[in-house]
Order: sequence, then structure tokens, then C-alpha cells
Amino acid sequence: MRRRSRPCLWGALAAVCAYPALATQVTVNVTTSAGAIAADTVVIFDPSDGMPPAGHSSAIIDQVNKKFVPHVSIVRTGTAVTFPNSDNIRHQVYSFSDAKTFTLKLYAGSPKQQVVFGKPGLVALGCNIHDTMIGFLGIVDTPFFGKVSDAGGVSLDLPAGRYKMRVWNPALASAVPAREIEVGASSMALALTVTLDPSPDTVADWPE
Amino acid sequence: MPLRRRIALTFLLLLAAVLGAALFAVSAANRSNAEREVQRQLDVGGSVFMRLLESNRRLLTQAAQAAAADFGFREAVAARDTDTLRSALANSGARIGAAMVVLTSLDGRVIAAAGSHAEAGSQFDSAAQREAAADRDMRVIVDDGRIYQMVTVEVRSPVPVARLSMGFELDDKAARELADITGLGVRLSLHEGDRWTDVVGTAPTGEAHGEDVAERRIVMSTYRGSEVAATLSRSLTDARAPFERLTNRLFLIAALSLIGFGWAAFWIARNITRPLRDLTRSVDRIRAGSYDVALTVNRRDELGVLAEGLQLMQRAVRSRDQSIRSLAYEDALTGLMNRTAFSAALSDALSKREGGPIAVAVINLLRFRRINEHLGYSVGDEILTTIGNRLASLPSVDSAVARLAADEFAAFTRLSDAADLQAWGTSLLAALADPVTVEAQPIDISATVGLALAEDSGSRADDLLRCADLAVERARRHKHALALYKNTLRPAAREQLSLLGELRRAVEQDELRLYFQPKMELATGRVAGAEVLIRWQHPSRGLLSPAAFIPFAEQTGFIRRLTRWTLDRAIAQGAEWHKAGRSVALAVNISADDIDVRLDSRLAGLLTKHGLPPSLLTLEITESSFIDDADRAVRILNAVNALGVSLSIDDFGTGYSSLSLLGRMPVQEMKIDRSFVQGMESDPDTESMVRSTIDMAHSLGLKVVAEGIEIASAAARLHHFGCDIGQGYLYAKPIPAAEFAVWIEGKQRVPVIAVPVDFDAREVADTVTLVTY
Repeated sequence: MRRRSRPCLWGALAAVCAYPALATQVTVNVTTSAGAIAADTVVIFDPSDGMPPAGHSSAIIDQVNKKFVPHVSIVRTGTAVTFPNSDNIRHQVYSFSDAKTFTLKLYAGSPKQQVVFGKPGLVALGCNIHDTMIGFLGIVDTPFFGKVSDAGGVSLDLPAGRYKMRVWNPALASAVPAREIEVGASSMALALTVTLDPSPDTVADWPE
Repeated sequence: MPLRRRIALTFLLLLAAVLGAALFAVSAANRSNAEREVQRQLDVGGSVFMRLLESNRRLLTQAAQAAAADFGFREAVAARDTDTLRSALANSGARIGAAMVVLTSLDGRVIAAAGSHAEAGSQFDSAAQREAAADRDMRVIVDDGRIYQMVTVEVRSPVPVARLSMGFELDDKAARELADITGLGVRLSLHEGDRWTDVVGTAPTGEAHGEDVAERRIVMSTYRGSEVAATLSRSLTDARAPFERLTNRLFLIAALSLIGFGWAAFWIARNITRPLRDLTRSVDRIRAGSYDVALTVNRRDELGVLAEGLQLMQRAVRSRDQSIRSLAYEDALTGLMNRTAFSAALSDALSKREGGPIAVAVINLLRFRRINEHLGYSVGDEILTTIGNRLASLPSVDSAVARLAADEFAAFTRLSDAADLQAWGTSLLAALADPVTVEAQPIDISATVGLALAEDSGSRADDLLRCADLAVERARRHKHALALYKNTLRPAAREQLSLLGELRRAVEQDELRLYFQPKMELATGRVAGAEVLIRWQHPSRGLLSPAAFIPFAEQTGFIRRLTRWTLDRAIAQGAEWHKAGRSVALAVNISADDIDVRLDSRLAGLLTKHGLPPSLLTLEITESSFIDDADRAVRILNAVNALGVSLSIDDFGTGYSSLSLLGRMPVQEMKIDRSFVQGMESDPDTESMVRSTIDMAHSLGLKVVAEGIEIASAAARLHHFGCDIGQGYLYAKPIPAAEFAVWIEGKQRVPVIAVPVDFDAREVADTVTLVTY
């Protein structure tokens, strides 16, 4: 059984805050069909009018109590991610996902190298010696993305324009179709309801 | 049914019933046991099979998980390096001997396979795979006609990326193994449509031979609509075989025990009944009179006790029998045989005709009564004992000695020759010649011996003894020491012997009649009285005169019985007439044998009983009454006289009376024998003898009666001689009482008429020839 970790948006917020002002606030509230907050849900806005230039950014996916923290992370393409080990046991973090295949040799503490994720897609993170340790890292080209907060929503300041909105949760029972969103001058609030499989045997497909 | 068979059969039937019930129960239990056992084996087989599957499943799961968890393998999966994957799959499968290893993507497309016909890129049974991966259970699938037990695990890296299915083939080998473990027939079958098709497996032993088979079908899975099942089977016939062997053995044991028990029962029964049968035989022999039967049953049980009891009983019966026998066959005084025993012994001897003829002697002691009366009975007894001993100690062959009566002994012996008879008789006499000494006083014994010889076959003991009796009687009468009865078996003698029985019957059945012949006073012609005579109204021979049976009765001693009868009837008749006022003096003949010490008392009794005055009775006695023992006779007759009864001496002149004896006789009357009366006519000497006899009688004070007067002239002459009374056919023949009463009535008025002679009873056929030595 897979445990869902609490949402942590430090990485994401850091990226967003670096973006200049003159943006419209878009809030997406995601709830489950049962009315609960659909935690670990990521919301991605792909601009239709060209991508802002990439910058160097980094992210940390910690390992605490044989769990990846955060459970679900999302980074922009080219982000270098550090996998520190906060446990007093060793871990061997790996990924065989198409987006990025890597193996960090068995280590304790902070690893020597960072892993740079240059290709968009979903990476399933695992530990070779702890089968239950699973984490997800979404890699997207766009800088506009967010993860559902404890308050139940994702708030982004988006420049006006057209966007494709993608929503993903590892436990999605059915894929949420991508939506075209027109962002104007005024702020927007969107409400989404997702159906989550309480005990999924597979991971929901990454929305392209 | 004999006891033996009944005992044996009872036990046998009981045992057979018990055995039958036991066999039935055992055989029924065996049958159900066999079936239960088969069901149990099938249960066990089923659970063994399930365990086998489970253990296979674990093995497969472990192997599949190990493979799926391998980092390199997962790397190869991620890299879709199919060659590497195929070799890795083959390697994993080989570790546990899995026949099928298939790696598919999550959507069921084959990535790589080993040992399977699945080709890369083809679609695998994803539904079964997914379910199996989800519930981690095994699946039984059919692939190209082969049955596989398959498990599926997910390959995670770390999320599920592929599925690995691994399976054993359930083939003949597996079925055989299972069959070996469970001892059952194992088949794996597919159920398609409506019928089962065996894919692999072994049939149970004996199924081919049409034996009963019990089956258990375990449906392992439903695969694409058709059921896959394992069928376990067991031959009931095989299963029953040991029980049937047991049952058969029990039957054998039952049969053997029946035989054994039957034999034992018969043996025991025979052991019980054989002694019983022996005892029964012994008892039969005892009943037949043999008392020397050995009744020993060598047993300590009840039968032994019974045998002992019978033995004791036999002894008791024997001793009682001996005492009864001695009472019946022995003379108490001398210990010699009595008449019965002697007769039996004689019969025995006569029946053995080898050797010489049998001689029988009857020995009569003379004047023995006098010895008893004078010297006492104890002396008499001692003399008898001595005589008996002497006779018994005489050496002789095949012989016996008996005491027949008070003074009469008998003996028989087997002579070597008939000519020795006289010598034997003489030896008997010689034995008695010596005086017997009693209380230091020698007493002379004289005896007469009558002999009879059984020369012919078929002589009867009683006849022979009777003949000897007759001989001794005759010898005694004629004072001979020895007499021989000859012509023993002449028919006439036989007839005479049979007479005794008839005579007895005559008395008992009242065939005898009293006849009365009047006695007339010659001087007056009046009736002086009547002589009582007896006639025998024989049922076949008509009326018999006394001459036909009286001599015989005297010889045999039966005369005493006849006399008693005659006296009783005569006195009764006399009393009747007396009471009717027509008193007739009656004269009754008595013989020498009748004169005994009780005569007077008997007479007195009869006179009193019937009420006849003694003066109306006269007893006529013969001279021979005095011959044996005159003193005794005189004494007895005196007593009779004293009663008032008169005495008359009969047939005077034919005997051997001496004049001195005549003087002593206490008689009042003398009857001259008819031979003299009738001879008077022709012989003057006789006439003078009659005349002088009459005179002599008168001088002794006796009345004289003449008998046999048939003609008037004789009566006249006798009257002339002074004879007082006449008797004869001139006056009347003997007539029955009723006629006599009529006659005497007429006599009062009618004169005497002569009656013609029509009967002479004097001549008697003498069957005895006497030989005097």
C-alpha cells in the first residue's frame, strides 16, 4: 500500500516567485469526487504562445523514513535534483522511467552528484533495497505548474494568454482531459473534481 | 433324536448363528469400511493434490518474485532487451523446472518468453495474468493442449511495469508422481461442452477390467469457459480386496471353528452319552437279572457319581434279590432248595441232555411226626438239618438236593447209565441208615425212597417229581424201602398228572357234588342214615365217580382238601335236614392223611357253624389210617369221639389190621368190605369169614354194616348172621341231596324194592407198577 505524502511546494514556489509581475492570478481547486482535497495532484499550464526562456533551477527530493519527500514533485526541464538521505540507513535511488534512467549508488547523507532531468515526462523513483519507497517526479517544459496545497488549490500568476491545462495525480482512476484555458486580465478560479483510485495497482499515465 | 445328536446340534446351530451374525456384521462393516476407506483416500488424495498445487504455487511465486525483483532484470525490462530477457527467463525457469516463463507488458503483450509457445509481441492471457498478479493466486491455464499451473507477479520499477508469469506443466510425469504419492489414479481433464476429455493421467488399476471405481473430481479452474479438473480415482475392487481377504479368512476360520466345534461338541456329547449308553446297557443287564455288571465309569463328574449310585443300587438289589431268592427258593431250616428251586434246577438239568439220564428221588422220613411230637420240634429240626447235610454231601454229578415238605426230601442226579438207578437209590438210603445223634442220644431214622428216571427227551421236571412222589407214596403204603416209577411218560400218566390241576379247579369252581347212599337197619328196614359220597360234575367228561379221582387225590395229598370240602358241605346238608325235622345220620369218609391233631377242633368248628348235633355225624376211616402211627391216630380219634362224633372203620378186611390194633381203635362201627359181601354168595369160606367177623365185631361192641348188598338173599343172610345195617344198590344207589330227600320221604310209606346193579366203581385203572426190592 502506498502512502501519500503531504504536499510540499517549496521547489515549485521558488520557481514561480522568480517570474516577473504583470500576471493574472489563476486558482485551480481540485477535490475528489468525495469532496476531499485531492492532494498530490499537479496542475500544469502549457503556454500556447511560446515558452519563456529556461533558467537554471534546482530541486531537492529528500528521503525520510523510507519515503520520498515530497511524494510527488514537479520540476521544469533541465532542473538539477538533489536526493539527500535523511535516514540513518542507506538507500539506492533509481529510475527506469523513459524520461530519465539513473541509479544513485547506495549512499547515506547527501549524494555527491545532482541528477539533471532534461526530458519532459514522468519519472518513477524507487529504492532498489526498499521496494515500498516510491516517489514521482514530473518534468515539464513550462514554468507554470503547481501542486495542490493543503488548502486544496493551486494558485498561479499567469501572464494572459492561452494555455493548455493538464492535471495529474498518481492515483487517478481515469485521466483528466487537457483543457484550453484563456487567461485574461482578471483573476480566474477553476474548480476540478477528480476521481482517485484508493488502491491503485498501476500509476496513472502522465498527461502529454 | 438321541441326546448326543441333540446336544451337538444345539451347540452347532448356536455357534453357526453367532458366527453367521458375526460374519454378516463383519462383512457389512468391511464393505462400508472399504468404501469409507476409498473416500478417505480420495479425501487425502485431494488434499495432497491441493497441497502439491499450493507448494508448486509457492515455489513458482518465489521464483517469479525473485526474478522480478532482480535489479538487472528490471533494468533489462526497462531497456526492453528481449534477448537478455529471454535468457533471464529461461534461467529463472530452469532453477525450479518451470516449463513456462512469460514476461508481458501491463497490457498483456508478450515481451519475452521461455518454454512457451508464446511469441514476443503476441497477446498473452492478460485477464488471467492481471487477476493472478492481483490476488497472487495460481491459475491453471491451457496452452496448446497442455495444462499449466501458473503464477504471475508484477515487475515493478518501482511502479508496475510488466508482468512475469511462471508455470509448471501438469503433465503425465506430474500425474504419475501424484499417483505414486497418493496411491490413486490421477487424471487431468478438460470439460468442454458436455464432456470431459482426459488430457494426461493414469487410470486407476483395474478400471480397464470393468471394476468398480470411485472418483473424486477437483475442478482447479475455469479457463476460457472450460473447466480444468483433476480426477482422482481408486478401484473399489482393489480397496475391497483386503477386506474381502479378511472376510474370506473369517469365513475360513468360521468354517474351521464350526468343524472343530462340531467335532468337539460331538466328542463331548459322546463323552456324556457314551457312559449313559453304557450305563443303560448295564441297567438293562441288571434288569435281566445279572448282578455282576461292572458299572465302573472312570470319571469324577456327575456321571461317575451316577454310575457309583447305580453300582450301589445293583449291590442293594442283588442282596435283596438274594434274600428274596433264598426265601423263595431255599428251605429256611436246612438251607437246601425248596420245591420251586428244585423244580427249576431239575428243569435246567433236563434241558441239558448230554450225559446220562436224570434220576429223581423223593425221600420220605417215616414217623417223623412222632419224633416232633415226642422229642420236640427242636430235635426234629436238628434231625432234618442233619439229614439234609448228609444228602447234600453225597457225591453225585449234576445234582441237587431239596427239602420239599416237613419230612420229605428230594434229590436228582445225572446217572451214567439207567441201570445205576437202583444203586443210587440204595446209596441215598444208606446215607440215612446211621442214627442221628441229638443231644447225645442216637435216634433211628427210617425212610422210603421213590425213584423216577427221565429216559426220554422232553421229560418235564414237574412230571418227573410227581412220578417220584407217586412212587414214594406207594412205597410208603406198601412199606417198601424203595420204589421206582416206571413208564414215566405214558399218556395215561400225563392225564393223571393233569388231573390234579383240574381237581383243584373243581373245588374252586364248585364242580363237585354230594351224593347220599342210605344205610338201612336190616332188622327193621328203616333208614339208619346215609353215607356221603362225592361225584365230580366234570365240564367235559361228565359225571365222574370217586374211583376216578379219589385214589389220585390220596396219592397226591389233595385228599385233605377234598375231605375238608366234603365235611363242610355234608355237615351243612345234615344240619339243613336236621333243622327241617328230618334228621339223617351222615357218614363221611376221611383218609389217613386227614387224621391230624387239628381234626377235632376243625370238626367242632364246623358242627357249631352249621348247627349239626355231633351224634348225627359219623366219620368212616380205613385201617390204613392206623398203620403209620397207630398211637397218634388213636389219640386224635379219641378226641373226635369226645366231641360225640361216631367213628366207623371202613372196608374192613382189605387192610392189614391186627386184632390187637382193632381192639384199640376208638370206633363204634365196622363196615365189612363189599368184596366179602359179594363173594359170600359163591364162596362158603367167605361167608363164614363174614359171619365170624360180625361176631367178633359184636363182641368188641361194634355195630356192623355190610356194604355192597345187591340182592335180597344176601341181605337176608347177613341179617341172619346178626349184621345190623346194610347198604347197597338193593336199597338205593347214591343220589343227590334233593332226590335223597324225596327218596327218604317215600321210604316212610313204600316198601323196599330191589334196585338193579348198574355201576361198579371198584375197578380203578392202576397206572403204577410197583417193583419191590
